[in-house]
Amino acid sequence: MKVQHFLGGIENLGPVNVEKRVFVEPWEAQLFAVHTAMMGTNIWAWPDLRVLAEGMNPLDYFKYRYYIKWLGGMCKFLIDKGYISEKELQERTEAFLKDPDAPLPATGNPDVTQRVVDYFYRGANPYRDIVVNPIFKAGQKVRVKDMPPVVHTRLPGYLRNKIGVVDVVYKGAYLYADNVPTDGLATPQPVYLVKFDTRDIWSDIPDSKDVLYNDFWEVYLEAA
Amino acid sequence: MTKENHDDHEHHNHLRENETYYAARTKALESLFREKGLIGIDTVDRVIRFFEHDMGPFNGAKVVAKAWSDPAFKARLIADANKGIAELGLKDGIEGENLRVVENTATVHNVVCCTLCSCWPWPLLGLPPYWFKDPVFRARIVREPRAVLLDFGVTLPDDKKIEIWDSSAQVRYFVIPERPAGTENWTEEQLAKLVSTEAMQGLDLVKA
Repeated sequence: MKVQHFLGGIENLGPVNVEKRVFVEPWEAQLFAVHTAMMGTNIWAWPDLRVLAEGMNPLDYFKYRYYIKWLGGMCKFLIDKGYISEKELQERTEAFLKDPDAPLPATGNPDVTQRVVDYFYRGANPYRDIVVNPIFKAGQKVRVKDMPPVVHTRLPGYLRNKIGVVDVVYKGAYLYADNVPTDGLATPQPVYLVKFDTRDIWSDIPDSKDVLYNDFWEVYLEAA
Repeated sequence: MTKENHDDHEHHNHLRENETYYAARTKALESLFREKGLIGIDTVDRVIRFFEHDMGPFNGAKVVAKAWSDPAFKARLIADANKGIAELGLKDGIEGENLRVVENTATVHNVVCCTLCSCWPWPLLGLPPYWFKDPVFRARIVREPRAVLLDFGVTLPDDKKIEIWDSSAQVRYFVIPERPAGTENWTEEQLAKLVSTEAMQGLDLVKA
């Protein structure tokens, strides 16, 4: 079991940090922009980053700020895939530690900037316009499967084994990713919006009319 | 210096050292990317400007103001959010290829989260703020939404129904908050200025 797959519903964590900034240190904006260059030129995609976040020591996952985790994940990915070497990254880091104001090299690939902006507007729609026959219908009761633990999932842990009602059967099919190991998301498939009474998820919370919606790939559901 | 002060001081120095290291390592990444032709000289500045001027919560606020002012537009937006925002000249794109708009009313309050990571409607809100990505928010919002709303300074009437949207697949959710009383004759420009990022995910109420 991976704690990162089971965040929803953990108790005793104390108050939420309501920090409203996106970047809390200047380097985070720079790191984010490097990440978008990787996205816009197909070096990586969200599932690659999520695999690394889900593979972390769970105590570190809670300990480190969001972009600190990205920094670790990006460096590991780029070294593992051979885009940069650990030695050159370490040497360059030490050089900037000695002289933080040293200028960046006045060279680069001028095409990347426009490719990144184009990518922001083009997106990466997982929709696949193929004929599918969805197994479940709107209004039908479904049970969320308890899938075996894997490298990467899009199934929230707190909903496993819970029963809800299909609210929307989305048109067509969606492909999540076929380049990372998942629990069944490597083929295009229907996606469903499922509605739960929150008391059916947690029987010990105060009674209310509150509901929770979650989108599921078909592989995660069975008839209830 | 007392021991506590000393520990605080040590702790603070330790954090500062870490931030210096992260900054150097990030700069090292951009530096190597430039040399290897993986990034342009102006890419970082352009990306930062993009989210300051082109893709940010000002887009969402414009959509909310229009929806408050034009019920027919609101109905079209709720039926098909991507087509709806296009009417206002707004482009969709990354993390917003499949948008859905839900509306807060006198009886229903919607909140949006992503318990597995940080899915967020970029074309309407830009990048997610720190709180949305924090594991504590993601862990607590689904089980105890009223207590989390209190952390944001929001108290809901006990009988209001909360609808929580956990973004785990392709859809990115956006909330039209309730229009505050006393704004009947306001222009869309005036209304848009009232709307916070948090209100457009259900973690703030709009006040005039």
